Amino acid sequence: MGAAPASRDVTSYGMGLAAPLALFFLVFFVAPLLQLFWLSLHNDTAGLHWGLGQYLHFLTDPFSLGVLGSTLLLGAEVTAVCLLLGFPIAWLYQRVGPKLQTIIILIVLLPLLTSVVVRTFAWIVILGRQGIINATLQSLGIIDTPVKLLYTQFGVVIALAQVQMPLMTLPLITALGRIDPNLDDASCSLGAGSWRTFFRVVLPLSLPGVIAGCTLTYAAAITAFITQSLIGGGQMLFMPMYLYQQASTLQNWPFAAAISIIFLLAVLAVVSVFTTLGRMSRGYGGA
Amino acid sequence: MILNRRSLLTTALTLGATKAFPGMSFAQARPLVFATFTGSWEEAHKAVLVPAFRKANADAAIVLDPMLSVDQIAKVNAAKANPPIDVMLHDPGPALVAVGQDLVEPYPVEKSAYYKDLIAEAQEPMGPAPFFQVVGLTYNPEAVKTPPTSWADLWKPEFKGRVGITNLNSTLGTGWLVEIAKMRGGSETNVDPGFKALEELKPNLAAVAANPGALATLFQQGQIDISPGNFNAIQILKARGVPVEFVAPKEGAIAFKTTIHIVKNSPNRELAFKLIEAAMTPEVQTTLMNPPYLIVPTNSKVTMGGEIARVLAKDTTELKKKFVFQDWKKINEQRSAWIERFNREIKI
Repeated sequence: MGAAPASRDVTSYGMGLAAPLALFFLVFFVAPLLQLFWLSLHNDTAGLHWGLGQYLHFLTDPFSLGVLGSTLLLGAEVTAVCLLLGFPIAWLYQRVGPKLQTIIILIVLLPLLTSVVVRTFAWIVILGRQGIINATLQSLGIIDTPVKLLYTQFGVVIALAQVQMPLMTLPLITALGRIDPNLDDASCSLGAGSWRTFFRVVLPLSLPGVIAGCTLTYAAAITAFITQSLIGGGQMLFMPMYLYQQASTLQNWPFAAAISIIFLLAVLAVVSVFTTLGRMSRGYGGA
Repeated sequence: MILNRRSLLTTALTLGATKAFPGMSFAQARPLVFATFTGSWEEAHKAVLVPAFRKANADAAIVLDPMLSVDQIAKVNAAKANPPIDVMLHDPGPALVAVGQDLVEPYPVEKSAYYKDLIAEAQEPMGPAPFFQVVGLTYNPEAVKTPPTSWADLWKPEFKGRVGITNLNSTLGTGWLVEIAKMRGGSETNVDPGFKALEELKPNLAAVAANPGALATLFQQGQIDISPGNFNAIQILKARGVPVEFVAPKEGAIAFKTTIHIVKNSPNRELAFKLIEAAMTPEVQTTLMNPPYLIVPTNSKVTMGGEIARVLAKDTTELKKKFVFQDWKKINEQRSAWIERFNREIKI
C-alpha cells in the first residue's frame, strides 16, 4: 500500500539533489559550448560578420578533412590495440587467486598514478634513435642502423595504447567479473570446447564492458594532445594540435571554434555508434 | 567559506557590478601581475628582476604569471576592460598582434630614465626590448667534430637523419624559415625558396619538434645532433651536462626582440612602468647577462662579458654587425598561410 506516492516522493527528492549539478553543467559546460558555437558562426577573426564560412572552409578542404580522418583512424587503432592486449589481462584477472589479482590490478592502475607527461617522455626514451628498443636490436645484430620509431604513426599508437590502457582494462575486469562462472562449466558440460565457450558465452556476455572500454579509450586517445604532439612531433597533425595552432598561434578563434564543433560532432557520432552496438549487445546477451 | 544565500547574493552582485562598471573594479586592490614566459625566463625574472623591482619600490606586491605570449594575448583579450595582467612579455610576432589589437599602452618614453640608453633596435615606443633572444646553430660536439659555420651546413649529406627543426608554431621555427629563405634569395615577403630548401632538407630531418622545448630534449636523447636553436635554451642544457654547443652562423644569428609592455586599462599602470624601468637598468641587465641566465643585454652601457662576449659579441657594435633582425610586420601578414603550407608539405 502507498507504493505509488512513495515512489513519486523519491523522484522529486532526487531531482532536488540533482539541481546543483545540473546548474553547474549549465553554467560551466552548456553555456561555454553555446558561446563556442556562436563564435564559430562568424566569417572573420574579429567576429563581426555572420556566416557559415568557417564550416565551409573546413568541410571543403581535403587537408582539414584529412586531419579529421587521421585523428579518427588513430583512435580506432589505439582502441584495437588496447582491446587486444587488455582483454587477456582482464580474463586472466578473473581466473587467478587473490594475491595475483592484487598484483594485476596494481599493474593496471600504476600508469594512472604517473603523470601523462612523464609517461610520454619515458616513451621518447624507449622509442628514440638510441633508445632501449634500437639499442637492443642493434646489440643483437638484428639491425645495422636505428629504426625510426619516434615520430611515426606506429610510435604514437603504441604510446597512446599504454597511456590509455587502464580505461580499457578496468571496465573489462568489471564486465567479466559479472559473468557467472557456472556458465563456463555448463557450456563445457554441454560439449563445447574452450574456444567455442569463449566466443559463444564469455565474449557476448562481456560486450557491455567491451563497449564501455572502447568508448572511453577512443575518446581519450583522439583528444590526447600531449602524447600526440610529443611522440608524433611537429609534422604529424591531429585535431587537438590543429585546434591549438589555429586558436593560439594564429588567434583565429572562429575557425578554431568551428574545428572544435566539427570534432565534437564527429566524436559524438562515433560514440553513438558504440552505444548503439552496446544496446544491440544487451539484446544479444539476454537472448 | 560557508556558502549561504547571503554570500551567494553578494558574490552575484559584485560580479554584476564589476561587469557594469569595469572602471571601479578592484583598483589597486590586487598586486602587480607580470606575465613572463615559462622555464628559464620565469627563473631569471623571479631571481633577478622581481627582487630589484621590489627593492626600488618599497616591497610593492608583485605576482609572476608565467605563460606563452599567445596565451597572454588571449587572456587580456577576454577581459579588455579589466585585464588580469599588468605587464606582458612578447616575442616580435605576438608583440605586433598585441599592439594591433590595441591591448597595450605606449611606453611613457619621456618619463623613462633608461629608454634612451637602449641600443636603437631595442627602442620600441609601444614597449621597449630589455632582452634579446638569439637563434643560431646548436650541435652536439661529441657527434659533430667540425663545428658548423653556416645554415647551409644542415644540408650536408653527413647529417642524414640527424637534423632537428621545429614547426612554425614557434617564433624559432618561423624566424628560421625566413632566414633560410633569405639565404636562397628570398625575403620576409617571399619564403618560397625557404620551403624549397625545406623540401631538400627532408632526407636529413630526424625530427620536427612540436616546440623548442621538445627540440632541446631531443639533444638529450641523441635523437638529433644539429638544429637551429636558441642560445639561452642551450645554456640550460649545457649547465645540466648535456654535450651541446652554440655557434652563430656566418649569415648572422637571428635576434628576436623580447619586448615588455604595459597592458591597456591596467589598474597598476605606475607599478607596471616601474617594473619595466627596473628591467632596463644596467644592474639588472648585467646580472642577467652572467651565468646561469646569459641573457643578452640591450642597455648600451652594459659591457658584454663571459660566454656572451665569447660566442656572440664583444660590444654593441659587433652585436649589431652579427645579429639579423627580421621584419615581423611582414612575417605576420603571411604567417597563417605559411603554417598551413608547412602542415601540408612537411611530412617526413
